[in-house]
Amino acid sequence: MLSVTGLCKSFGGKPALHDISFHVEKGEIHGLLGHNGAGKSTTLGIILGMVEPDRGEALVGGVSVQKDHSGALRQVGAIFESPAFYEYLSGWDNLKILAGYSGSFDAKAAREVIARVGLSDRIRDKVGHYSHGMRQRLALAQALLPEPQVLLLDEPTDGLDPEGIKWFRDFILDLRKERGMTVLFNSHLLAEVEQMCDRVTILYKGRLVHRGDLASLQGEAVVYEVDLEPWEGACRLFELNGVKVVGPGRITLPPELEAPILVAALVGVGIRVSSFAPVRRSLEDLYLEITDRHSKEQAQPFIPSA
Amino acid sequence: MNFLSQLGGELRKLFGRRRTYMGYVVFLAMEAIILFVFKLPRSQRSMRELIETNGLGFNDYYSSLTVTYWIMGFSMFLLGSIYFALVAGDIVAKESEDGNLRLVLARPVSRLRILLLKYAAVSIYTITFVLFVGITGYAMAVAALGWDGGLFVWNYKMKVFGVFGTWNEGMGRISLAALGIGISMITLSSIAFMFSCFKMKPASAAIVSLSILFVDLVLQEFPFFKPYEQYFVTWRMSNWVYLLEMNISWAKLAGSYAFLFGLNATLFLIGYTAFRLRDFKT
Repeated sequence: MLSVTGLCKSFGGKPALHDISFHVEKGEIHGLLGHNGAGKSTTLGIILGMVEPDRGEALVGGVSVQKDHSGALRQVGAIFESPAFYEYLSGWDNLKILAGYSGSFDAKAAREVIARVGLSDRIRDKVGHYSHGMRQRLALAQALLPEPQVLLLDEPTDGLDPEGIKWFRDFILDLRKERGMTVLFNSHLLAEVEQMCDRVTILYKGRLVHRGDLASLQGEAVVYEVDLEPWEGACRLFELNGVKVVGPGRITLPPELEAPILVAALVGVGIRVSSFAPVRRSLEDLYLEITDRHSKEQAQPFIPSA
Repeated sequence: MNFLSQLGGELRKLFGRRRTYMGYVVFLAMEAIILFVFKLPRSQRSMRELIETNGLGFNDYYSSLTVTYWIMGFSMFLLGSIYFALVAGDIVAKESEDGNLRLVLARPVSRLRILLLKYAAVSIYTITFVLFVGITGYAMAVAALGWDGGLFVWNYKMKVFGVFGTWNEGMGRISLAALGIGISMITLSSIAFMFSCFKMKPASAAIVSLSILFVDLVLQEFPFFKPYEQYFVTWRMSNWVYLLEMNISWAKLAGSYAFLFGLNATLFLIGYTAFRLRDFKT
């Protein structure tokens, strides 16, 4: 439904994106992750036709944004962090003006969308009097009004309170369930991404360092939390069997070694095993691990299977 | 149809802003001041001298129409230029600065269309503003001097002399002149509009535009440049006054307006090119 191929972009000679390619399937919620300055917003800018790539192309529903800007964007709704509306106009007028750029304004459809985002009571108020949460609801309404196939969310939950974040998350998940909407979600709130996304693409200093589904990412190189005594004796055995110590009381096993065999070996050499349990790593752990690895490797491109 | 509804939205944005209206209020005050000055005995003496030297009756030509001509001439170049530069300088740059433009650019609409809509809105604003000044200036003059009387026009710099004895004749010409000023002032709006398309602050776009106009005006007064005055933008912009000549020289007017239209189109294209090449990053 959405794909970018070989995107390269420099600003003032400074590379911002280097050969970025990924795709988002129909009905998928895809997280675009990276630190500040990683190139997330530039990528979104290229998909929305706001930034001209030096090389590469973005396709929405098979239509090239660079070749047929209007045709591609007809399928897209976008929400930005701190959306800037016309403060001196009402929410209704803002919707009317913005929807006008996408074609005609359908008042009935607008009322339905407004009711859905819970703004019916305040839609005639000036946007200048809206809270951040209300602006984000209005942003959702303006994005959904042209009935897009793809929703691009650029750090949409930044600055929202916990209730607002939960409401937003549930709303997006409902949209996917009801309409099979495709969502590209750009955020650095990893807990949010973990709860919403099926797959992620991680950018580091303008390079793609990982793409894949969350389940497989979390399944890679399982970490075990262990309580062993004596620890020094266990470490000797770990060295012999290719087991890595990744933190205090934390180890990872080589692919050919199964946990019960290691436990048996430990017990066999007289080590007391009080606990030996796999740890489910959070997306934050994985993200930090991946970006740390690439920081050390001078950010060479690394693309495991999608 | 869609273009018109989008233009409606653009005008709604433009006229919804308080700062768009500030100009109207200031102009009313300016008109009142000019009118007050015209009512001072010393000003009246000068006007009487000017009218009577030309063999005309002071009471016939010291009228609401004559005063409206002076109000429009003074206020447009003294204050109008500032407001047109401010509004046109804002039209793209302010939206870019505030971030509104991102929501527009995320829509299936070309950058050319966005700029055409904004340019049309600025042009409409410019012409309606001049008409507003003309109508309110005339209303104030009527309140002060009564509605009847002819129109007396004397412009030393442009060498224009016009006498229209009846109200009908005078009103027709002053209305035509108001429209002429409006079209001329679009050039100032076009300069500010062009700068607004570049990556610069809205205030900078207005200041640079006014500076260009001011330099043009000053250079034009240098004796060295006198033979080349027709190449100066402000001289061409002043040609609306030829609409108040006894016998309108349409060829001269057509030449000037063709010059201004050509300049406006060039400014628009430069602005569009700059806007088209810009990256709008969040």
